[in-house]
Amino acid sequence: MPKRTLDPLPSAAFQILLALVGEDLHGYAIMRQVAEQTEGRIRLGPGTLYSSIRSLLENGLIEELDAREDADTGDERRRYYRLSSAGRKLACAEAQRLADVLRVARAKKILRGRYV
Amino acid sequence: MSEKLYAWLLRLYPAHFREEYGDEALRLFRDRARDERGFFPRLRLWLDLFVDFTISVPREYLHVPAPRVAAAAPPRFNGLPAFYVLQNESPRPAALLFGGALSLVALTTCWVSLNEAHNISNSAAPPFAGARNYQEFSRSSRSESGQTAPRYASSHTARTTAQPGTPDLSERSRIVESAIANVKEHYVDREAAQKMADALAMHEKRGDYNAVADPAAFAALMTQHLREVTPDRHLTFDYFEEPLPPPTVAQGAEVSPQYREAMKQQNCTFEKVEILPRNIGYLKLNSFPDPDVCRVAAMAAMTYVNHADALIFDLRDNRGGSAEMVQLIGAYLFDHPEYWYNPREATSAQSWTQSPVPGSDLAGKPVFILTSSRTISGAEQFSYNLKMLKRATLIGETTAGAAHAGVFHRLDDHFGMGIPEVRAINPYSDGDWAEAGVAPNVQASADAALDIALKLARARLAKK
Repeated sequence: MPKRTLDPLPSAAFQILLALVGEDLHGYAIMRQVAEQTEGRIRLGPGTLYSSIRSLLENGLIEELDAREDADTGDERRRYYRLSSAGRKLACAEAQRLADVLRVARAKKILRGRYV
Repeated sequence: MSEKLYAWLLRLYPAHFREEYGDEALRLFRDRARDERGFFPRLRLWLDLFVDFTISVPREYLHVPAPRVAAAAPPRFNGLPAFYVLQNESPRPAALLFGGALSLVALTTCWVSLNEAHNISNSAAPPFAGARNYQEFSRSSRSESGQTAPRYASSHTARTTAQPGTPDLSERSRIVESAIANVKEHYVDREAAQKMADALAMHEKRGDYNAVADPAAFAALMTQHLREVTPDRHLTFDYFEEPLPPPTVAQGAEVSPQYREAMKQQNCTFEKVEILPRNIGYLKLNSFPDPDVCRVAAMAAMTYVNHADALIFDLRDNRGGSAEMVQLIGAYLFDHPEYWYNPREATSAQSWTQSPVPGSDLAGKPVFILTSSRTISGAEQFSYNLKMLKRATLIGETTAGAAHAGVFHRLDDHFGMGIPEVRAINPYSDGDWAEAGVAPNVQASADAALDIALKLARARLAKK
């Protein structure tokens, strides 16, 4: 069986890539970041989160760092994840694709009354 | 507590996931549980987890982890069969348990739906079989009265209807019109017929039938409207899911060669004719076949048991048939003519049995009849008469309750009517077995009926 395909990029995987832009995060921090950037619409459960993380790792889109303690709380050693350059490129391409979709939607005026 | 529960639920994931991310997942749960306190946040957490499980568990089972290090292909041995499996670990007890529970659910669903289907086909079968019997019976009454004109609503018989379940409104009104015409033409009481016709026309005009989508419900409503005028349980308006056989007007009174051949193959449905220990005669008869074909077989069967001390008729699988045969066999059991009630025939000289049958020794012998809920039509007529004449003890279940007293009229491929065309005198009560069935003297499950009959027969013989 081939590796799980990320084309098209699932929404959870895209959100994880976005969450990792700018800083390295552990699992729970990713989950919170995703919830924050989607205004609570997406709350990743452990199964979905780690299965997405694994796919991203297998496809070289993120990297796993050596386990270390949480800088803020100082408790427990956790695995941290970092966006790879391939991951950044893919996130960029996906954002561009969505921007194109958004442009079309705007042109068709289906976003009436809302500034997006 | 909830952490333990989650840890237990994690076992639903395949081993490769648990090994790699089990601890992380548990830690994430712990973090969320710590941060999301209170009833609603906790409820939301579990809802999230439920969704998460339903999505990610199946996905993980479909996923084969990429090997971290390229493994050398295992050597293959010549001449030995090789098997490839998706996972090289044996299933865990939890997975087996989960699989077992799933299979149980699937099997139960299957069983329930099969049962449902069986019930539906069962409930559809008797009236359908009855429809054939109607035709068989109407044939005999036709031949007597010399009437050969087709008894079908001729304008509708050749036409094929829409799919069952979707008769459109115009079709509905045509069926209602056809029903009105048939009632007016055939119902035994002209005055009542006119009243029923008016009632149907009134309901049709008011649009009462337009709202009923289900054809069976439509048929039930029509029957109800007919009986509101005339409470006659022999008057029916029926829906048949299976298309009715095409009208066989031209065949008239002739027995079809197929029927003749089938009877020959099945020994005229006399499945067993035996003398059991203690000289108890046992006849398992699965229909009352047409005497034109089976008179000799019936006489031979009755002769075979002629010297028995008691007689058991096993009608548990009897689907009815010819009223003439019912009466012919009944005649063996009396030493003088008895009035034999037949809801389909006007009372006449033919309504008495041709008893005594020359050479018959069965007149005074105890008779037992085994019945089941499948015992229907002619078999019910046989049971009813012998029960009412106190000539037999019925053992088993209440019978199906199909008198088929009306002559069957085919309205189209799926609708037909049973219309009583004659008045038969029922000397016992106002109601016969129509819809109610014949209640046994000894209520028992069909399976247990034979044993009970044998016991009763032996007890009766011991008294002598």
